[in-house]
Amino acid sequence: MPLALDPAIIGREFDRTVEGPVTADELVAFARALGETRPEYTEAGPALVAHPTYCVRFRGGRFYPEELLKLIDVRSGFDAGKDIQLGAPVRPGDTIEVRSTVHEVYEKTGRTGSMVFVVIRYTLSNQRGEMLAIVDNRFMHR
Amino acid sequence: MPERLRFDDVEEGDELSARSFFLSKDQVRAYARAGGQWSPRFTDDEGARREGLPGMITPGNMSMGILASFLEAWAGPGTLRRLGTTFRGLVLPDRTIRLCAAVTQKDDASRSVELDVWLEGEEAERLVIGTATVALA
Amino acid sequence: MILDLHLHSELSDDSRAPVEAYLKVLQRKRAERPLDGIVLTEHRQFDPARDYRALEDRYGFLILNAAEVETDYGHVLVYGVNPDILARFDFSDVRLSAQALVTDVARLGGIALPCHPGRATVGLCDHYQRKPPLEGVVAVEALNGGSKKGEEARVEELVQRLGYKAYGGSDSHLVSFVGVCATEFDAPIRSMDDLVAQLRDGRYRPVDFRAR
Repeated sequence: MPLALDPAIIGREFDRTVEGPVTADELVAFARALGETRPEYTEAGPALVAHPTYCVRFRGGRFYPEELLKLIDVRSGFDAGKDIQLGAPVRPGDTIEVRSTVHEVYEKTGRTGSMVFVVIRYTLSNQRGEMLAIVDNRFMHR
Repeated sequence: MPERLRFDDVEEGDELSARSFFLSKDQVRAYARAGGQWSPRFTDDEGARREGLPGMITPGNMSMGILASFLEAWAGPGTLRRLGTTFRGLVLPDRTIRLCAAVTQKDDASRSVELDVWLEGEEAERLVIGTATVALA
Repeated sequence: MILDLHLHSELSDDSRAPVEAYLKVLQRKRAERPLDGIVLTEHRQFDPARDYRALEDRYGFLILNAAEVETDYGHVLVYGVNPDILARFDFSDVRLSAQALVTDVARLGGIALPCHPGRATVGLCDHYQRKPPLEGVVAVEALNGGSKKGEEARVEELVQRLGYKAYGGSDSHLVSFVGVCATEFDAPIRSMDDLVAQLRDGRYRPVDFRAR
């Protein structure tokens, strides 16, 4: 474990936030910004659902747990990649519960020097308790 | 029902027709606004340079969204089950990007396929790489 | 005998490639990339318990295990990893001494070869501009499937100047790119012992199967 972190931090939930409700306008604007024209993603109405990557918008109320914030300057971070597992689609009117856990912390060297990687897992569910997405977000810190 | 690609019509090794297009700074700003990522590194060359970047960059989330749309343009809306990406290089706007994908494995039990998917820059450098699972009819 | 000496399976943090899917691609693309096998070089780790014999039998390719580790001279591939080498070096340490690695891996029966030497920060060329050359380097990766423009030209100059042998690897992190760069050996290779012996004393050269 780099950064003299207590390994107990891994897997522990450090934030739970409810966001939303999501509006049809937001879903349509998001999809259109990606060049989408398909009616499922761009036409308000009962069939409208969110574009599959809309779930990456949700990052809860706290970026990192306190223990990590003491060691890492969040502003130094870059998004290094994401893994999204999709469940039920997000629909207009949904409220989204976001649960955040530290999934992994590791160190490596790359083209720009040595880096610390922090993987935060966001588990998203809606007001009906359906799983919407599990998003593992890898942040890189120089 | 929107049309979905049929599992039986896909073979391991199939390559999707690559899609190239010019990604403008205005498109990136529109995404930054709609995606809740309005920050200088994604909206303004000067602001991005102050962060040590060569100019404004495309959010990784946007690259990922573009790749998701590319896959669903092939398989049908609502077919994407999983998408994993690694952001390897900066995607600078006001350049042409190229989207590519290939079917790597088929799973009969779930009627889903695994794909490699990647986004190339103008010198064919792979700036975003990933894999996806898509459920077919 | 043609082997891809550098690739990552999903065991590496930034790769997404299942080993079996690599073999399927090689099977399908035999005409374009006529490989006989692959050497998995997972990042910062080596698990002696990994066993791909069932896949070797099913697909007819040689599958060997090595590792890619991180040093003060950039990234290095370690072939012939054995318990003595694992006891001597912590592969998860991103600040290993490259000189100790090259010297001691050779003494303990393996071989450590710098990879993507032309790459910024993690390649040998950058470090040679500021520090003395390493003693005992046999070969460097002159063709790497993930190289950016200009990186290979830097390596060619290095190979000429210091008389290193040259090898190639795809550095694949996606299965589609397996074998795009590889190494052709004059002698047959059936095991890691054969590979280490050939890399040290044999004749080999990088081969490029990238569609250009």
